[in-house]
Amino acid sequence: MSTYVYGITHDSESLDAAKLTGVGEPPSEVRFVRADGLAAAVSTTPDGLRAKRRDLAAHQEVLVELAREAAVLPMRFGAVAPDDESVAAELRRSKEHYSALLERLRDRVEVNVKATHIEEAALRAVLTEDEELRRTNERLRAAGGGTPADRMAFGEQVAAALEELRRRDADAVVEPLSKHADQVSMGPPVDNCLANVSLLIHRDKVEELNREVGRLQGRLGQLMEFKVNGPLPPYSFVTEPGR
Amino acid sequence: MTVMQQSGGGKSSGNLYEVLDLILDKGLVIDVFARVSLVGIELLTVDVRIVVASVDTYLRFAEACNRLDLTTSGGAGLPDLVNGAVEGGARNKSKGALTGAADALKDSLRSDGEEERAPAKTRRRSSSSGDSRKESE
Repeated sequence: MSTYVYGITHDSESLDAAKLTGVGEPPSEVRFVRADGLAAAVSTTPDGLRAKRRDLAAHQEVLVELAREAAVLPMRFGAVAPDDESVAAELRRSKEHYSALLERLRDRVEVNVKATHIEEAALRAVLTEDEELRRTNERLRAAGGGTPADRMAFGEQVAAALEELRRRDADAVVEPLSKHADQVSMGPPVDNCLANVSLLIHRDKVEELNREVGRLQGRLGQLMEFKVNGPLPPYSFVTEPGR
Repeated sequence: MTVMQQSGGGKSSGNLYEVLDLILDKGLVIDVFARVSLVGIELLTVDVRIVVASVDTYLRFAEACNRLDLTTSGGAGLPDLVNGAVEGGARNKSKGALTGAADALKDSLRSDGEEERAPAKTRRRSSSSGDSRKESE
């Protein structure tokens, strides 16, 4: 029976596993493996565990619940230790690293902001500012679309211009948000977004950050849309212990 | 249009898709622990990053530009130009290939059933094209 690990937190008497719902169907029981002042939230790994919607949600929920009470170091989904003892051994081995990290993340939460261009608005923007693209567009339109080769070459130029626009607009989004953060982590451009930025902030600053996103929305909302998720466990701000 | 505000309070799994990259690609990795087999899902996370920079996309961009009415472009600034772009379904119309692959994943995660990975994969494949390549990172 292997041990599924959700995350690591400070050991405390107030830790309550009863309200936590683990991965698996039926949901596995969550318990704590304690060692040297640290506690890892774990479950017995259910058979055939895979990254299904239900289990991703359970992983996330356990961490969100824990983070409500105290700082938590979230594991990436899917961490499996051979048994509880090896989890305890890991807590003991890297105790200082985890304790220091928990201390640094105390009262801190992650907020993730993804900004994505509204495609039609972005197309207008690149055509508006690039005369050559605009001329080509008009020429092709006049020619009923032009030859497939023409259209493809034009489309490729447009794609490059959109990429350049994303790069440029990313700064306009990330910079104002970063002002509010202790630490900033840039994520990959999922869903073709122009900015995928995670901010580590004091939990008291969440509202302040939301207002900043509101201002950006007011200023740039015709060109892009914003998705804000948080407060989240600090997925983007945990580091592995050096061996 | 409102900023989509999601809170970590209560059940936060409703916005699971939007934080998928964090749950699957960030977070602590301890080298002495194994990771459950994520055959399929790992591909999914990589795939949502892929811009379908292909013949199809290029042709679609060209056509979308052809359709745009830029006659007001004379002295008007961008805010004027994009008026109306946000509303009236224009966004949905222009979604197309750019987000198609990601939408397939979104659907698979939002469906209530316990969706297996294989069907989602097939669906995604069919919405992207063979010679897609990874966006420059």
